[in-house]
Amino acid sequence: MTAVAMTAALILIFFVAREADAAMGGPLQRIFYFHVPAAWAAYLAFAIVFLSSIAYLRMGGRRWDLLAESAAELGVAFTTIVLVTGPIWAYPVWGTWWQWDARLTSALVMWLTYVGYLFLRALTEDPQRVGRLAAVAGVVGFVNVPIVHFSVRWWRTLHPSGPTPADLAADSGLGSPELLAFFTSLIAFTLLFAWLLGVRVRLGRLSDEIGAKEIRAPIEQAA
Amino acid sequence: MSNTAWLFVAFLAAWAIIGAYVYSLGARQRRLEERLDSLERSRS
Repeated sequence: MTAVAMTAALILIFFVAREADAAMGGPLQRIFYFHVPAAWAAYLAFAIVFLSSIAYLRMGGRRWDLLAESAAELGVAFTTIVLVTGPIWAYPVWGTWWQWDARLTSALVMWLTYVGYLFLRALTEDPQRVGRLAAVAGVVGFVNVPIVHFSVRWWRTLHPSGPTPADLAADSGLGSPELLAFFTSLIAFTLLFAWLLGVRVRLGRLSDEIGAKEIRAPIEQAA
Repeated sequence: MSNTAWLFVAFLAAWAIIGAYVYSLGARQRRLEERLDSLERSRS
């Protein structure tokens, strides 16, 4: 289903969503159709890290810790897409790869925060200690996510604010083919995220099972 | 470079990142399967 949605999104982006090209700076504007869905997938990932971290702090349980770890990894991957495609879009339009404005800087800080979160997990072998430390970092780190999102409205930035849902419902300059391409791409990235999260969580469970077997093996051999 | 070329560069970069992540997941899975195999061999 993910592959079908992604193929449909690519066909729509490259062959259907052409009307807005003239009004929005040529074919380059089509970076929007994967730059924004990647940002959405990153937000979704970090929201899962936040909620799973709260659940872990309240109830404990490796499954919450594993879900937070897996989502953080995916959030970093999708934020990397945002941070790479953004400058590629910016250079021909702004004449510079990077501007230290509120949106770009807060997005970079968000990426660094979750890279730090993943490094933090690698610091110690004690799963209880890692879980607690990472859960606190997962809750505190999320503070920046709404700042990234609303930075374009709170501060003057070179980065465009983008249409709100209300704008999309009204006249945003995006025609029906463009809206169809955008929402198809949004669904495709959401499905891709869900699929990758499932794979990553299964991998984590397998790793835990092998770890437990490796601990038991010498005891069983001695007995 | 034309705008279309920049679009393809951005598109390829996005897919390269997704591809690299999927490859890393595959590599981790292979390593885990090897660990599991060696564990089962040592047991039998």
